[in-house]
Amino acid sequence: MLLNKLTVAFNIGKVCLPEALQVRFRYHADKVARGPLLRRYGYEEKILQRGTLPRLKGADRLCKPLYTPKDAWTEKRALFGQNDYIDILGNERLHPTRILYNIPPWLRGVGGNEFQVMLRKRNMLAKTVYPLARPTKWNQLQKRINYLYRFLNKKTKTV
Amino acid sequence: MFSCTIPKLRIIFPTARSLSSLASPSQIEPRQLAFPPKYQQPRQVWLENFDTIEEKKLAILELHPEVFAANPRVDIIHDNVRWQSLYRYVSYAHTKSRFEVRGGGRKPWPQKGLGRARHGSIRSPLFRGGGVIHGPKSPNPHFYMLPFYTRIHGLTATLSIKLAQDDLHVITDLEIPTDDPNFVEELVKSRKWGPSVLFVDESDIMPRNITAATDSVKHFNLMPAYGLNVYSMLKHDTLVLTRAALDLIESKLLTHLHKNNSVPNTQKYKLNQV
Amino acid sequence: MGSNTAEKALQMLKFLPRVCLANLKPSPGSRTSKKRGRGQHGGDKHGAGNKGSGQRQNYMRLGYETGNNPFYLRFPHEPYYQGHHLRREYPPLSMLDLLKLIEMNRLDASKPIDLVSILNTGLYKIFPDQRQYGVNLTDEGADVFNAKVNIEVQWATEPVIAAIERAGGVITTAYYDQHSLQAMINAKKFFERGVPIPRRMMPPPDAIEYYADPTKRGYLADPEKISEERLVLAQKYGYELPQIEKDPEYEMLTERKDPRQIFYGLHPGWVVNLKDKVILKPQDEELERYYAS
Repeated sequence: MLLNKLTVAFNIGKVCLPEALQVRFRYHADKVARGPLLRRYGYEEKILQRGTLPRLKGADRLCKPLYTPKDAWTEKRALFGQNDYIDILGNERLHPTRILYNIPPWLRGVGGNEFQVMLRKRNMLAKTVYPLARPTKWNQLQKRINYLYRFLNKKTKTV
Repeated sequence: MFSCTIPKLRIIFPTARSLSSLASPSQIEPRQLAFPPKYQQPRQVWLENFDTIEEKKLAILELHPEVFAANPRVDIIHDNVRWQSLYRYVSYAHTKSRFEVRGGGRKPWPQKGLGRARHGSIRSPLFRGGGVIHGPKSPNPHFYMLPFYTRIHGLTATLSIKLAQDDLHVITDLEIPTDDPNFVEELVKSRKWGPSVLFVDESDIMPRNITAATDSVKHFNLMPAYGLNVYSMLKHDTLVLTRAALDLIESKLLTHLHKNNSVPNTQKYKLNQV
Repeated sequence: MGSNTAEKALQMLKFLPRVCLANLKPSPGSRTSKKRGRGQHGGDKHGAGNKGSGQRQNYMRLGYETGNNPFYLRFPHEPYYQGHHLRREYPPLSMLDLLKLIEMNRLDASKPIDLVSILNTGLYKIFPDQRQYGVNLTDEGADVFNAKVNIEVQWATEPVIAAIERAGGVITTAYYDQHSLQAMINAKKFFERGVPIPRRMMPPPDAIEYYADPTKRGYLADPEKISEERLVLAQKYGYELPQIEKDPEYEMLTERKDPRQIFYGLHPGWVVNLKDKVILKPQDEELERYYAS
């Protein structure tokens, strides 16, 4: 064993002197047999330190919700990303943003900051029933756009 | 780690001996490469059967090196995967600012004389139940468009890696004799594919048996060639192409790599284009 | 980076664990996250810089000089570019580029070359809505130009005309109005719209003179005078004028568009159906009268 260690040491390239190789015998079993290390002798802990609430003495632990790992192979996750390259491998005239059926039509292929997205939303929804059906939401949209217009144009650097 | 990867070395080095043991080489047509490569050797892959559990190597097919021996740029693949997950992602997290929270028009208490702090609205951000400053606003799209040729290179790099790591197999077609899921499971196990396998066929109308057999197994998935993408190829351990799908994918990619008018593709993405 | 790098990388990948979603990485250093300064003075100015507009949230409008009479208002009148928004623009295409297009097989010289075929190469672009009215063929490379072509451009100078005719070719200058140009910039897209091909308009008054001038080889000029001018130009530049009448490609070289025509072989009023590969022609007398040149 010692020889092994020596050869390993040599292989690494360090020079090991024999005096430096002291071998001490410490066994884990001895440590376990000694029992837990006594700390703060005579002090009685009034609060339970581990586990979930309640931290009352003698009370049962609250049950944790059982861990349910995500199923990585549900149909949605297993086929995630399908048709993202449809303009390359399929119909050249069909852009992948056109088939993002999971998001509202006016939001497909739309990027940008909050102001730009809101302007797009206002333009697209102005001629629908939205302003009449959701008057409060519509009003808040207008207010937010006005605020952002002032903020972005007068309070921030736009060049 | 190495002990499990070393068996993968048994790939695509066909020798005269292995060629002689082919089942019926005369029936299989060799592949003609479009745009034959000038400076690179074509890659080769076994054409395997799919109708029996035991593997029969039917022929050797040549693959175009520009598609199947492209530079395996992991960073480009990463860009592709990142784009795929972000371009469709919209965050709908929403908080109300002080003007959107209902109420709060009245001054809660007089400005002076009560010994209390001065306030003008109970919906001020300082109040419980008040508005939120700089909170998330819905909808927040994370859309951006990856350049066209970065997406092409993502596909070629992924296909090349799949072939190099022996995770790409070519079969004649997806016809199997039974609709029993055990058949496909046994087949995949005996050929040391998978565990997760992506079967790609040319069109989106698949044979009945393979559809029924893979329906109950979540990690066996069927996909038409036009639906192939970088994310799915990497999510599944093994990629199995039918010969028709292989032809289609290779020809589409080569066309894009070799066409002389790529200007419309390289232009910046504009909203409402196409 | 040659294919050798790719080959080495692929060889190496055979011994590496499977590339999957979990072990992808971007290019090192390509993504940096914004970090605030650390330590005692890390966030002193909250990212707003030192003094001024940044700290006071007061960015003034462009050109505002905090109360001075602004520069853009100091001078009352700048007439230098008067009428610039009305002038026609002809984006240049040099003869060298044209020769290159022909030699690289992007243009077929055995057929008449016009704006449509030049635009179809995808290497030349015009934007009619920015008052760009077609090709200005410039004389760069005129000395080496040796292709025999029947070309129709929108603007050409004397050396260019001489160079084309010396090589045995024919040049015409022709005017197209904006609607015609919109149909020409992407002919396929135009046909897919399913609308009839418009008739080409006559040039505006200030352009009539150019396009009716035989020395400019205008499409409205008298052909007799053009052949006269060809001879004059040959004598001026000192070359022997190749005889088109004896040329084997006489048919191609003498092909011209009607002044109302936009595409070779297609007349105004026709509808091209690409899906069924059918051409629909107007039958109504009134329409025929309208589209007649």
